[in-house]
Amino acid sequence: MFKDLDPILHSQLRLAVVSLLISVKEAEFTFLREKTNATAGNLSVQITKLKDAGYVAVTKQFKDNYPQTICRITPIGIDAFDMYVKDLQQYLKNPLG
Amino acid sequence: MSEQEHETPMTEQESLALITSMIQKAKSHFHESGTGAILWGAVIGFCGIFSFVQYYWNLKVPFDIWILVLVAIIPQVWLNIRDKKRKVVKSHSESATDTIWMVYAISIFALLFYINVVSNLPVRLNSNHVQVFQKDITTGMISPFQPRVPSPSSLLILLYAVPTLATGIGMKFKPMVIGAIICYGFFIASCFTSNTWDVLMNGLAAIFNWLIPGAILRNRYLKRKALDV
Repeated sequence: MFKDLDPILHSQLRLAVVSLLISVKEAEFTFLREKTNATAGNLSVQITKLKDAGYVAVTKQFKDNYPQTICRITPIGIDAFDMYVKDLQQYLKNPLG
Repeated sequence: MSEQEHETPMTEQESLALITSMIQKAKSHFHESGTGAILWGAVIGFCGIFSFVQYYWNLKVPFDIWILVLVAIIPQVWLNIRDKKRKVVKSHSESATDTIWMVYAISIFALLFYINVVSNLPVRLNSNHVQVFQKDITTGMISPFQPRVPSPSSLLILLYAVPTLATGIGMKFKPMVIGAIICYGFFIASCFTSNTWDVLMNGLAAIFNWLIPGAILRNRYLKRKALDV
């Protein structure tokens, strides 16, 4: 197991969300749901965890009278993702530590 | 990705594969429809060729064809509103490209303002009962001075090339890069030709810069859309 990997990012759905957000400026909740194939409830819970960790900023607004949730990665999230990828690469180079 | 799956422990290979797949999914989402490029390429291309025909054959028309450029702003605004409503994600490159074209729009209006104001300088001076004269230093002849913008089309063509080249390089879209290079060629050529040929090159520049790349983008977009259905 990956003891040193960031536990916030080392979860399939949260890592998927952060990987999507790192590639774009901002994305709507519907985009993240479509790309991850997650349920709205599960995705919402995981985004809240990312938000609480300061990795993702969430803006809620109305668009044509419908609620709209826009997510974007924060500088803290970018650093955490960068570190996570570096740790992964390190692990791949030296699997035995 | 089900509720249970996300807590399943991942191996390092699975993590990397997931990151790669998500980045790829995000990238593949973006496809420029080319509608705006087709609109402006067609409108400016038509106006340029129409003006050339008008000047070359000395045809009199009771209107200024370039008014179509102002009319084209209406569908462009509609396209922008529609796209904004449909958009669920915005990329960094899209954001940069939007900024480039916004700055271009401001610059083109500023340039049109300059061309109109400077061309109208004798009229403005006359309204203040002022006339400027020039003296031929060899003959000593004095004649009224008519300040003019030298080849306004050259300035417009030069400005067309700037956002197109930046977008072409940024999007790694060769037809736009080639269009912009052709546009720079037209700019150089237009410095040596009369206004009649300048307006033709203005129209052709729009066709190479926007209409052709826009049509290629549109074709790709429709093909992609057909595959997604």
